[in-house]
Parts: sequence; structure tokens; C-alpha cells
Amino acid sequence: MSNNTVLSRFSKMQWLSLTQEKIVFLLAVVLFVTFSLTLNGFASVDNLLGLLYNVSVLGVLGLAMALVVIGRGIDLSLIATMAISVAWSLTLIRGGLSVEMALLYGMLLAVGIGVLNGWLIAYAEIPALFCTLAMGTLVYGFGRIALIPADVIYMPADPGWFGALGQGEVFGIPAPVIVFVLFALAATLVLRYTRFGRYTYYMGDNYHAARITGVPTRPMLVTQYGVVALIGFVAGLVTAASVDSMNTRIVNSTMIYDVILVVVLGGIGLSGGKGGVRNVVVGTMLIGILLNGMTIMNIEYTVQNFIKGAILLAALIFDSLINPRDEQTAQQGDI
Amino acid sequence: MKPLIELQNITKEYRGVPAIKDVSLSIYPGETLSLLGENGAGKSTLTKMMAGAVVPTAGNLLIDGEPMRFETPNEALRHGFAMVFQETSLVPSLTVAQNLYLGREPFFNRLRGLYISAQQFLQTLNFNVEPTKLVSQLGAAERQMVEIARALQHKARLIVFDEPTATLTPEEKHHFFGLVERLKKQGVAIVFISHALEEALAISDRITVLRDGEHVLTAPAAELTQDDVIKAMVGRDLSQELYSGIGAHRKPRPAGKKVLSIQNLSMGSMVKNTAFSLYEGQVTGMFGLVGSGRTEAAKVVAGVLKRDFLHGGEVFLDGEPVRYRTPRPAVRDGIMYVTEDRKLEGFFETLSISENIFAGKLASREAVPKVITYSEVAVVAEHWRKALNVRAISGDARVIELSGGNQQKVVIAKTLVQKPRVIIFDEPTRGVDVGAIAEIHQLINQLADDGLVVWVISSNLPEILSLSDRILVTRQGRVVEEFQPDTATEEKIMYAAVH
Repeated sequence: MSNNTVLSRFSKMQWLSLTQEKIVFLLAVVLFVTFSLTLNGFASVDNLLGLLYNVSVLGVLGLAMALVVIGRGIDLSLIATMAISVAWSLTLIRGGLSVEMALLYGMLLAVGIGVLNGWLIAYAEIPALFCTLAMGTLVYGFGRIALIPADVIYMPADPGWFGALGQGEVFGIPAPVIVFVLFALAATLVLRYTRFGRYTYYMGDNYHAARITGVPTRPMLVTQYGVVALIGFVAGLVTAASVDSMNTRIVNSTMIYDVILVVVLGGIGLSGGKGGVRNVVVGTMLIGILLNGMTIMNIEYTVQNFIKGAILLAALIFDSLINPRDEQTAQQGDI
Repeated sequence: MKPLIELQNITKEYRGVPAIKDVSLSIYPGETLSLLGENGAGKSTLTKMMAGAVVPTAGNLLIDGEPMRFETPNEALRHGFAMVFQETSLVPSLTVAQNLYLGREPFFNRLRGLYISAQQFLQTLNFNVEPTKLVSQLGAAERQMVEIARALQHKARLIVFDEPTATLTPEEKHHFFGLVERLKKQGVAIVFISHALEEALAISDRITVLRDGEHVLTAPAAELTQDDVIKAMVGRDLSQELYSGIGAHRKPRPAGKKVLSIQNLSMGSMVKNTAFSLYEGQVTGMFGLVGSGRTEAAKVVAGVLKRDFLHGGEVFLDGEPVRYRTPRPAVRDGIMYVTEDRKLEGFFETLSISENIFAGKLASREAVPKVITYSEVAVVAEHWRKALNVRAISGDARVIELSGGNQQKVVIAKTLVQKPRVIIFDEPTRGVDVGAIAEIHQLINQLADDGLVVWVISSNLPEILSLSDRILVTRQGRVVEEFQPDTATEEKIMYAAVH
């Protein structure tokens, strides 16, 4: 058997897959150094905290998306779920409900949508891409018809502890950054050390093998999408508290693509089973530095979109280059 | 007469494993040649080379005496070499006419014109198929007609039929053979791949038998009997060396307690009303040709597939009826299936050996602590790696980097870690190197000695004969015969499987 050639090919792949994360990390470092040297005010403490503050919500959403992408799924309804459930909570608070109860209702709505997603994907066997695409539109439409009176719902005058989620600071570090760090730590632990986390990797790597091994694949899918929606809800709370409102028009923005960008850029393959929290952090950092630098340079929003799009495309091409569909390997055993 | 196509010392290797070894063969215009052999003998690979779907590693392909090298099926088609596959290659969502002209539509494509010319063409062939019908609405025989019509539409000079009669009714078969006769008269060469020996002998001019990728015999069909062909198909030297002395002299283990009883099990068109039982402490071998419903029956028992909702039959575990809709409850009850296709549904290719083995433990009925410690993963994996002699640099190596035999051992370890009561091996040594075959066989024997219910499915006769304490033979979705290993021979089993 020509084991040597096979081995060398795969060790080459491993070396490459190591570098995808590394390359993005190096790119982030290079950009950081370049911007620090060339841009006035980039390297200041205030700006760097602001940079972190700006990308922390994106990072939290990226962690949520990573969970399903590792399980070889995707959730395109994430932003819609987040916007509508949080806007509904705000509407309820303004209507006189206590903050706690309003948030509980919003959370139940978000988790309900997630569970419905998971149920449709697992039991009705709809592809995740189509299911969540339709669900996003459905949720947004339903929310605007039945739950919230306007596109933009403002925070109530006295949101109490909820407001601190966006505006508060601990030792000078903004609350959203802390939320991101906490979620990143929690996700690391869950993905690496719990049965739920390992099952997610097994399903993403080989769904059929996971099923035959005895992994409860369908309940797992329902749980995964439920958890994603829950994290999305928290990210929405942080957003609302930071900018004092929830603008549901973000559903129609490119935000969902930014989230996928962060996940794919960091090196979590869309083919599933690979990557982890570190990849999301690296992807978030690169996007954060890039956006912040482009804003300081006063680059137009449309041009920024062009650059982001080009980077996402490059990341996707890279992903398919290092995870190729090898016909020869696929035919093995089919002699 | 000059041969239409001549294969000279053709060899094809997959990852260094030869599928076809040094085969030479000529096919003449207007003749019917049947390619016979067991599963994995290399029939499909050989014909795929003629159709350009597979490029040979070494050797020459001469067409009309000129050397030729097809890189793509399209190129082969342009030279008039067409293949009619077992699973049809038609597009179900298009109409018959669209399928006929697929890939050669004119730039300005008028549907009405397409239907008219398709209608005329089908009439010249005397095919009664409506050109405007969707292929998905056609029956098996009609689909086959469309396939053949498409091949002829490309002015095919050689048509390869892969198991053409498997899905046909007797009347449709009669029709089909009439058509073959007409094609022959027009000078078209026909190659059959078939498991139906009687049929092959009746309609072919010549018979070629392949075994383990090597050419065994080519002779006019009139000079051969069915027994000659079966002998040529099964008599192998290499495996006799490998298996000699295990099966023949060993005393079969007695049957222990009856654990699984399968009654009137049915699933779609693959498993039809089959019944058999499995006992503790012995190896039950199951032999059948591809498509005889062996794998499907096993998958239904293990919950991987669902049996028919109505009249699906019953499965009893220790006398209690069980009905698994997913593999998980079956795994919890100790019934585990080791797949025949380990890449598709066996191992996790991006994960390490250790992680693969531990996956089994994590999903088993045993209590696993809430928090996973990687030292425990390493300990569990190391134990099984030693027990099964998985050869790798370390437990951190990825499974996809291993040889077939070691991959199979990892998949088996992942199953054994779950402490099975009933273990089903589907083609346990497919794509496994010779050394590992012996080790896996030893392991299977050990498991039966330890009192497990072991069910081995295999297309490899020597393997079945050397391992089994009982041999079940399946044909067309049913267990049709049971043999004792001391009285069974390869010929008897093959005879039961093909009739």
C-alpha cells in the first residue's frame, strides 16, 4: 500500500489547516501594527477599548453561529430572532411589565424559535440553510405584525440593571467585552469538556457515524438551535443596552453575513467538525481591527462592504482548498 | 474479424491496492460477452474503463486497432462506447425526450421539435415510451429502455449493461433479450455484468470470469456449464492459503440461548418477509450477493433503518418484541452494527484515534462523568488500541491517515467499548490488508467464545466458511437456506445464492 504518499498528503493538509488560523492571526497582527504606526489615534487605550466594545456583540453572535457550524449546520435566522425577541421584551417593559418578566418572555420566544428550527431540521429533515432562511423572514414578519409597534423600539427610561449590560464597566472594561469573554470561556468548556460539546463535533464530522454510534442526533439538533437562539437573545440585550434601542431593521442588513464571516474567517470549516472558540476569537479580532482602521481612515461604507465581501470570499475559497473533496479517497473500498 | 476493443495488460490501482491486475480481453462487433465474478472481482472497474469513467493505471486500450486513452465518459461516448448502469444515470426531473438529447441540445432548443424527433427515434426502435413523460414517473423497464435509447442515439458501438435484468419482471426480461438480439444484428457489441448465471449462459456468445481482479477464463458460452462457471468464480489460491486449516478442521460452536429472533421482516423492496434467529456464543455467517437485502436486514435490526410500517414483521430480543426507530435505543440494548462503509458511516475522519474510540464510550449506556477528562480519553483509547493492535504512531493520529485495516480496527474498537451483546459485522474485512484480516478474524472468534451473539455478513465465501458456526444464505431479500459449515462448500453456497 502506498501509505507514504497518503501520509505526506495529509500531513501537508494538517500543516495548511494549522496555517489558516495562523494566517488570519498574523494578518490581524500585521494590520494592527500597520494601523498603529500609520493612523493617528489607533493605538490609544480608548480606541482599543472602543474597538473591542464594537466587535464584542459580533463575537458573541459568532460563538453562537460556531456552535451550529461545527455541527455542520447554519442558522440564518439568528439576527431576526435576536432583534424581534429583544424588541418584544422592550415593548413589554414599556407597556408596564417588570424587567424580569419581560426578559423571561423574550427569552422564551427566542428559545422557542430556536427549538422550532431544530425540530424542523431534525424531524422534518429540512436542510438547515433553507429552514433558517425561511424562519428568519417568518419571525421578522410575524414580529412586526403582531409583537412590536415600530421598527425601532427604545429602551425604557429606567432599565435598571439591564442598562448596565451595555453601559456598565468593570475596572474600566466595558460590560459587552466582559460578556464576550465570559461566553468565550463558557463555550470553550462546553465544547471541549461536556458530552454535548463532543457530540456536536461527532455530528459535524460524520452525522451517520454519530447516529450509528448511538448519539441522539435529533434531540441534539433541537438543543443546538435552541442554545444558539438563547445566546442570540443575550447578544441582543447587550446591543439594546449599548445603543439604548433595538432597531429591527438590522435584520435586513449584512449583519448575518458578518457573523458567518467571523466564523469562517477564523477557520471553522463549513463542512463541520472542525475548529473551536479560538477560531471565532481570531476571526473577530481581524474584523474588529479592519473595521476600526477603515473607519478611522474614513473609508466609505460601501467600500468597507466590498473589502469585507472580498475577504469572506477568499476565506471560503481557502476553506474548500484545504478541505478538498478527494475523489480517489471517496472511491476507496468501491473497488 | 477485427476486435472492436482490445484491452492489453490493463491494471488499475486504488491507493496502491490493485482492483484489476494485468487483464487482457478482446470484444468483437455483434457479439454478446458476459462478465462474471463475485462482488469485488473487478467487473465494474473493468467496464468503467471501457466507458471512460475510470482511467487505467497501466496497460493499453486499443480501439479498431488504434491505441486510445479515454479521460472522460464523454470522450468514450463520442467513440460510441456507452454504459447502461445498474442504478440508472437518467435525470428523473426531466422528460424522456430531454434525457435522450441531454448534453447535445442545439443552441436554440425547441421543446416541441425535441418531442417530435424523440418520438420518431423511439418508434424506429419500437419502444413504447411517451417522450413527454417525466423519467421519475417511469417504471424500471421503461427507464432501461430510455437508457438504451440514449446509448443508441449516441450511435453506440459497444453497450455495457450492469445488472440489466435485476429489476425487470419476466415479461420485461423477454422484451429486453429480444432487443439485445436486434442490437447484435446491427453489429453492436454487448457486454453484460450479471449475477444471474443461467441467464448469462443462455444469452451470451462468450463468458469471461474475473476473480480478485484477475482474468480467470474466457470461453464460448456453449462450452461451459453452470458448475464450470461457479468453480471459476470461487476457486482462489491466495485465500485458500489465507484461510486453510481454520474452517475445515474446527468444530462448530454449539448454539447458546436464542437472543434475537427475526420474523417476517420487510423493508421496502430490499427485505422481503425474511425470518431467522441468532444465538449466543456462536458466529452466524450470512452470505448473499449485493442487493440480496443482507445489509438492510442488519440495519433494520440495529435501528439504522426503519422496517415497513405495515406488515414490517417483528424482531424479538430475549423474547420481547423490540422496534428501534433510531440506533440509539439499539445501542442501549447492546445491539451494535459495524458498518460495511467505514468512511461513510464508520469513523470520524478529522478526529484522532483516541477521540474516535472514546466517542463510543460517550454514547454507550455506561455512566460517563459529566466532565470529560482527556487523561481518561487517553487511557480508554490506549487500552483498546493495544487490545486490537491498532498500528499508529500515537493515539493523536487522525483516523483518515491510517491504512484500511487499522481504520477498521478503530471502528470495531469504538463498538466494543460500548460492551455489545449482539454485534453485527457487515463486510468486516472489506478493503483490509491481509495481515489485518487474520487479526480481525481472530477477534471475531474470540468474541463468539466470550458468549456474544456475532453476526457476520460477507460476500467473501472463504471468510464465511472459515468463521461461521452456521451459514445463512440470502437471495432477493430473504434468507433462503441454512448450512452447517462442516457440510457446506463454496459451490453449494454460491448455488443457493444465485438461484
